Amino acid sequence: MAEKVLTQHFGLKNVYQIDEYIKQGGYEAVKKALKLKPEEILEEMKKANLRGRGGAGFPAGVKWGFVPKVDKPKYLCVNADEGEPGTFKDRYIMSHNPHMLLEGIIITSYCVGIHSAYIYIRGEYEAVALRLEEAISEAYDKGYLGKNILNSGFDLDVSVHRGAGAYICGEETALLESLEGKRGNPRLKPPFPASVGLFQCPTVINNVETLSNIPQIILNGADWFTGKGLPKDGGTRIFGVSGMVEKPGIYELPIGTNLKDIINKHAGGMKQGKKLKAVIPGGMSAPVLKADEIDIPMDFDSLVNAESMLGSAAIIVIDTGTSMLDVLKAVTKFYSHESCGLCTPCRIGTSWINKIVKRMAEGKGSKKDIDDIVRLASNILGKTLCPLGDAAAMPILSIAKKFRKELESRL
Amino acid sequence: MKIIIDGKRIELDDKKTILEAARENGISIPSLCDHQRLSPFAGCRLCIVQIKGRKGYPPSCSTYAEDGMEVKTKTPSLQRLRREILELILSEHPNACLICTEKENCDEFKSTIRKVGETTGCVLCPNNGHCELQDVVDALKVDKVRFPSVYRELEIKKEDPFFDRNYNLCILCGRCVRVCHEVRGASTLSFTYRGSQAVVGTVLDRPHLESGCQFCGACVDVCPTGALSERALKYESLADDTAATICPLCSMGCKLEVESKDGRILSSRPAPEGGVNRGQVCVKGRFMIKNLVHSPRRILKPMIRKDKELEEVTWDEALDFVACRLKKYKGKEVALVASSQVTCEDNFILQKFSRAALRTENIASPVSVSPLSTYRELVQEQGLKAGLNFRIEDISKANVLFLSGADLPVSHPIVWLEVLKAVKAGAKLVVASPQELSLNRYASVWLRNKPGTEVALFSYLSKAFLESEEDGGHSRVEGFGSFKKSLDKLDFSQVAQTTGVPKEKFMQTAELLLEGETSAFLFGAGLTQNPWGAQNLAALHNLALLKSGRLYPLGLENNLRGAFEMNNGHSDKGLSIDQVFRAVHSGSIKALYLAGPLPDLQKAKIEFLVIQGSFMNDNMEKADAVLPAATFAETDGTFVNVEGRIQKFQKVIGLSGEAQPDWWITSRLAKKMGHEGFGYKNQAAVMKEISRDIPGFSKISNTKLDNDDEVFVHEEVKGKEKFIPFKPVLAPEETGQKYPLLMSVDYNLDYYRNLALTQESKGLRMIRDSRWIKISPEDAKRLKLNDGDTVVVDSVSGKTQGRVRISGALPKGVVGANFLWNEDSDFSLVPLSFSSSFKNHILNIIPVKIKRGK
Ligand SMILES: Cc1cc2nc3c(=O)[nH]c(=O)nc-3n(C[C@H](O)[C@H](O)[C@H](O)COP(=O)(O)O)c2cc1C
Ligand code: SF4
Ligand code: SF4
Ligand code: SF4
Ligand code: SF4
Ligand code: SF4
Ligand code: FES
Repeated sequence: MAEKVLTQHFGLKNVYQIDEYIKQGGYEAVKKALKLKPEEILEEMKKANLRGRGGAGFPAGVKWGFVPKVDKPKYLCVNADEGEPGTFKDRYIMSHNPHMLLEGIIITSYCVGIHSAYIYIRGEYEAVALRLEEAISEAYDKGYLGKNILNSGFDLDVSVHRGAGAYICGEETALLESLEGKRGNPRLKPPFPASVGLFQCPTVINNVETLSNIPQIILNGADWFTGKGLPKDGGTRIFGVSGMVEKPGIYELPIGTNLKDIINKHAGGMKQGKKLKAVIPGGMSAPVLKADEIDIPMDFDSLVNAESMLGSAAIIVIDTGTSMLDVLKAVTKFYSHESCGLCTPCRIGTSWINKIVKRMAEGKGSKKDIDDIVRLASNILGKTLCPLGDAAAMPILSIAKKFRKELESRL
Repeated sequence: MKIIIDGKRIELDDKKTILEAARENGISIPSLCDHQRLSPFAGCRLCIVQIKGRKGYPPSCSTYAEDGMEVKTKTPSLQRLRREILELILSEHPNACLICTEKENCDEFKSTIRKVGETTGCVLCPNNGHCELQDVVDALKVDKVRFPSVYRELEIKKEDPFFDRNYNLCILCGRCVRVCHEVRGASTLSFTYRGSQAVVGTVLDRPHLESGCQFCGACVDVCPTGALSERALKYESLADDTAATICPLCSMGCKLEVESKDGRILSSRPAPEGGVNRGQVCVKGRFMIKNLVHSPRRILKPMIRKDKELEEVTWDEALDFVACRLKKYKGKEVALVASSQVTCEDNFILQKFSRAALRTENIASPVSVSPLSTYRELVQEQGLKAGLNFRIEDISKANVLFLSGADLPVSHPIVWLEVLKAVKAGAKLVVASPQELSLNRYASVWLRNKPGTEVALFSYLSKAFLESEEDGGHSRVEGFGSFKKSLDKLDFSQVAQTTGVPKEKFMQTAELLLEGETSAFLFGAGLTQNPWGAQNLAALHNLALLKSGRLYPLGLENNLRGAFEMNNGHSDKGLSIDQVFRAVHSGSIKALYLAGPLPDLQKAKIEFLVIQGSFMNDNMEKADAVLPAATFAETDGTFVNVEGRIQKFQKVIGLSGEAQPDWWITSRLAKKMGHEGFGYKNQAAVMKEISRDIPGFSKISNTKLDNDDEVFVHEEVKGKEKFIPFKPVLAPEETGQKYPLLMSVDYNLDYYRNLALTQESKGLRMIRDSRWIKISPEDAKRLKLNDGDTVVVDSVSGKTQGRVRISGALPKGVVGANFLWNEDSDFSLVPLSFSSSFKNHILNIIPVKIKRGK
């Protein structure tokens, strides 16, 4: 089995405590990084081409490079909102190995010239938030956080901010608004957060998993990283498998591992007596794949080619006993509830789709309803203020297209 | 930069959105959430366009034009998409009338009385006829909605004054939210809930009254639909005339657009363009104008007292009567009180009339107790280089703003908007105020000084500034040596005890002052309206000089500056307004011509009283003659605003009853009294003479005023820079055993001539009830007082009785009250604030004691 990076310590007891973590070689990456020049780290990160694990897959090094050199405070926001249905990887990282994330935060901040970092964590993750806070206070005590870290002259403060349960607050600009104490409405882009972010200052926003990869990149180098996974999409991913498999859970595997293998080998195949019908490969926002489409490498580009997306790498396995209408119902209910309401197509569009699907599920639908859903969803796709609209439209369109027959049979 | 929109080549100089560029070039793109004064929102998605080389449909309201862009705004796919989006909006909007095939023929119902509470279609909607949603539906020719119509069944909110909120009509364009936050700084409104439940509202759905609303009406004005609507207009038909005028209710001099029908004012709104206010007003200009012009208290006929009763008579009879009686008095026996709320022309004639016909120098008005007078006196005495004119936009360019003696959002709403603009752009605001003001939340430092300790406060600030500064090169400036010496005597260890402000705050302020490049020192009547006002100003002047900052004197009343210019040079010869008040009570003045404000005269010992005014009040019981004056709405004239901007305006409706402009009345009277030189044909003739006689108007002609918005009072700013010697710590009136509390009196501007606006409008009463004695929670507890209890307030000068309201904005030991020229008889501050020992000052800091009354 392939070497684990992010989950390497998961079996060990107490590794969430700093002493145990250090025993396992923890904080060596920070020590090494603080001796490097920030530009050297940026160079290495660009070479590693670490693609964002929050969903969009944007290379972290390139993103950091966008931060302008201005005389203003800069901020790091760690996206730990983990709101995408089906996704639970960040929770594992933060509760098993919070110091790995902190190392990633320290290195990123040092590289970009940041002195305050915020971890914006999903409100429901109360225990995880407490664990993070404990880890942070340990790191302060040991001199890895605070003033003059390890006598390098570099200062960094980290604090945890708990969200209040809105999916939209995982969207980076809504996250910033929420962190500023306002209602979590997405902002217009441009300007992008790298130049105008938190409190109008340059801000880097990265996902928990993205940042947790950084210590190992620093220790082992970019070549080592790209050597895992694919050349343009290196490293491993934590695939969160849920649904009708024998062994649901998280699996850290090289990027590009075949979806079929993940389901059949790693997750133990379908639950006894169940037959595969469809897979949502990257969290609920990803377009669905049919059973005959799952022979596919799990990386950003391959899934885009298959008109789906890798997203948060949360794999939801659906069996033939599950009605796609019910899936559709769950999807539309979620998005119409989570739409922030700012823009017309998403606010009213998702609400109508939800009403129509609900009616269909009650057995009162008609053929025209499916056309209406497709028309409404197409009018959302690419026409909204923030990407939540797309996230809603894509799965709906894919289900309506790929499972039209099944839906019609339920009318 | 060149772009092409729909094949049309467009040259652009500065950064603009595609929508703006299109609009300016006559290309219309449907839009609902965009508003030219507000930041882009991109929510409605109607303004989408296609740009060559870019995929998708970017909204033109938030996409900035870039060189070489080729934009299409009306392709079939765009129009189809827009219609579908509009259909979505209409599916949640009462759409029956919008898509009704008979709507063309429905015009005659447009004035239907809207008695029903619920708006189920345009004919029942207050917005009918000027609705942007209707316009967009027409432009996109949507005639069907493929969804069943949803009525959201939201409760219609009517608990607040002035406007109703019916969010069933709301399209969530967010304009109200943005204007309230971005422009007004009130942030009363926000989006609440989400998804299909999303709606605009206040925090916890409380009424606006409890949500920091200023009731400026800006949200109502930007709302494209009938969701927000002015209550008073609900039952009105559409206007038949719209005319511009200047608001007479404070020194901002906002440009208003007044709608009327059949000679009756329906509403007043900010003129969308131009003027000092650029599309904004305050609650008074927005909601009070109609109430006051058409008040049932208007005096519409001349009256004279016959057999103890006031009787309506003709103008001739009234003027003959007054002329004949007035001739008997002259010099010190007679006085005239003028208003700073009437036009320059009226004021000029009042002055001329007093000198020529009444043969007196006793021409009193609130001008003499204003910050302008104190400032001008200081400037003249010291030979300083400082003018009164400024431009309001200079304020928003400052990096540090220092404010004392004014509660700007209430007293100078438009200045406040400029300050806010500056603060939003990163400027630092320092507020010196004993009371907590709503604007404090925008302040970087709040210096909560004990009332009356401003001299010490400013001196310590100067000292802190000098200590933080490296070398300001001040020694070149006259007077620095002795100024420095007097500061040297100050001991920082005493600072907190003297001023109530800890040392850190001084250092913090000094640092902000040092950091900011340009600074503005704004001060209002609170600083000058007391016997040591000149000392306060001197101390503030010195502080500002250290920083090379500018002082901005902020007078209160509408035409204060105009009235100030009209009596230029004469101000000090006669009695001041407070002295006149005392003199009519002691009997030394026998005849009074009251054309301005004066408190209750029930107990005055006076032989002859003429009232020239627009509204009935208690003083009429004492009057021998009442001469009805027209309001600003019925006259032509000029007002000078706080900046020194001379603004000419024209009447918006005809004269009411037999009321006449003030200049007309007084010049007729002068003629009747046998004086030459009062034969003016119209207001313009008076202005001609003003420009001949008044130095500040020397280069002003009627034509110039007609054609130019940017005419300022002529002033020669000459003199030198100099530190003014003064005693650095002036002990404020110590509170002693006998009078343990300090009463801090604010000047209330909620009046127009002899009408208290709160009397006229229940709405204003709800938001600005000034008839209270405000007391801190600590003192209330100690004195065992509850809200509404009656108390007796006692001071050296006299006592008064009133009702208590507990206010957390006040510190322990300080009592708050409002002074209003038009006091009603149940509560008067006159016995306390008209102290006999000073001229020209109405006390605003008074040691008092309070005990329970009955
Ligand atoms: C509606 C919506 C919800 C999102 N939720 C999350 C989330 O819960 N966690 C996350 O890391 N990224 C989320 N994202 C993606 C973020 O906007 C952003 O792209 C990401 O945090 C960037 O980090 P990365 O580059 O490290 O992936 C969401 C995006 C959208 C549009
Ligand atoms: S697409 Fe529009 S309504 Fe939906 S979440 Fe984004 S901004 Fe809000
Ligand atoms: S808001 Fe406009 S479109 Fe809606 S009912 Fe009123 S007038 Fe008609
Ligand atoms: S009236 Fe003015 S302050 Fe009040 S909500 Fe509207 S915009 Fe805001
Ligand atoms: S109330 Fe009016 S201005 Fe406010 S969001 Fe609704 S439609 Fe727009
Ligand atoms: S700010 Fe002053 S001038 Fe403007 S509307 Fe209000 S009262 Fe009138
Ligand atoms: S006007 Fe551009 S989206 Fe509303």
